[in-house]
Amino acid sequence: MNDAHAGERAALYALGALDDADAAALEAHLRVCAECARLVGEAERDVDTIASLQTRRRAPQELNKRIERLLAPAPARRTPWPAFAAVAAAFLVGVLPSAYLWERNRAIEDAMLSQAAAVDRLVATAHRTASFRPSRVALAANVMYAPDGSWYVIVVRGAQHALQVAWMHDGEQTMLGDAVPHGGVAMLYLPKSHRMEQLALMDGPRMVAQAQLPY
Amino acid sequence: MARAPGDEEALAVAFAAHERWAFARAYREYASLLYSVAYNVVRNSEDAQDCVADAIARLWRSPSAYSSERGSVRSFLVVCVRNEAISRRRRQSRRLHLEERLAAMPVEHQELDAGDPIERDRVRSAFAKLPEDQRAALALAFYEGKTHTEIASELKTPLGTIKSRISLGLRKIAGALGPDGVDR
Repeated sequence: MNDAHAGERAALYALGALDDADAAALEAHLRVCAECARLVGEAERDVDTIASLQTRRRAPQELNKRIERLLAPAPARRTPWPAFAAVAAAFLVGVLPSAYLWERNRAIEDAMLSQAAAVDRLVATAHRTASFRPSRVALAANVMYAPDGSWYVIVVRGAQHALQVAWMHDGEQTMLGDAVPHGGVAMLYLPKSHRMEQLALMDGPRMVAQAQLPY
Repeated sequence: MARAPGDEEALAVAFAAHERWAFARAYREYASLLYSVAYNVVRNSEDAQDCVADAIARLWRSPSAYSSERGSVRSFLVVCVRNEAISRRRRQSRRLHLEERLAAMPVEHQELDAGDPIERDRVRSAFAKLPEDQRAALALAFYEGKTHTEIASELKTPLGTIKSRISLGLRKIAGALGPDGVDR
């Protein structure tokens, strides 16, 4: 039997009797193994049966409000105009603006327009989705991509800082760009002209997740 | 209150698809249960609230954490919150001496009930019917939040044996309490 499978660890996980590292490893496995997910689900029902018979307390209002805020929809995405305005303002008001600042604003603007274009294209065209298989649980990442390889959008949730996206091919690694988090979600749009079958997320020199992209 | 099976399935499908409304509804339905589960581990209202909020936030950031193969959303959430609470208690107990914990001021909370004495008797009786070795291992895991390595060390028993005892004991006790005994 493969050691990654839950086996008797299903009950230990549901009881909270695994240490954090073992629990995280099992959680990662459960994302890809339906049979183990079912087994752990049964153990969770058993623990629920016992835990439900303990003393009940009413959830405090402040907790309810906290969860409400957590699950509230994010504010609508800003249109490119305010960013344009910011660039213009920086240019005009800044009798002072240095070339550096202007270039920097333009880079941000380009990135925003590029991402907006990606989202528009996603809505309008057929695309595929693949998940990254993370080596740590807190990370959830997907890649949406055109079947002809003309564009890729990498979305990472739970990233605390920028992660690098790499194309893995022929035993080599080609760095494609950084996915920089804003409000807990990092996105990177990559216009391309060829199909990439394997991508990786890198945290510096360390690979933290990889995805296979079937066509 | 019992839910219609169709409702439960619809919630599970939407929860697996990471639908915002499914998270909100699951929390609304199980809020007091989840808070109680956390409270019963950490014995402190503020920490219990943090456990629930942290567990829900973690799940909200991890779209693939729950899959429909897992079954009941409610049981999945109970275990997520409980595990969060157990981890927190372990971290705290590493930091605090027992005396400091005992001296900590209890925080007031609203009790819905003190636990149905008949149900508590059923749990006690189900535990009592387990063979001694299974009962000891399961009680250390469930009531004291110990890891299987700590339990193996405390009971001076090989790790593999402890895993089997806990696994068997859990199945037996849940079987004895049965689905009729719990309002799912």
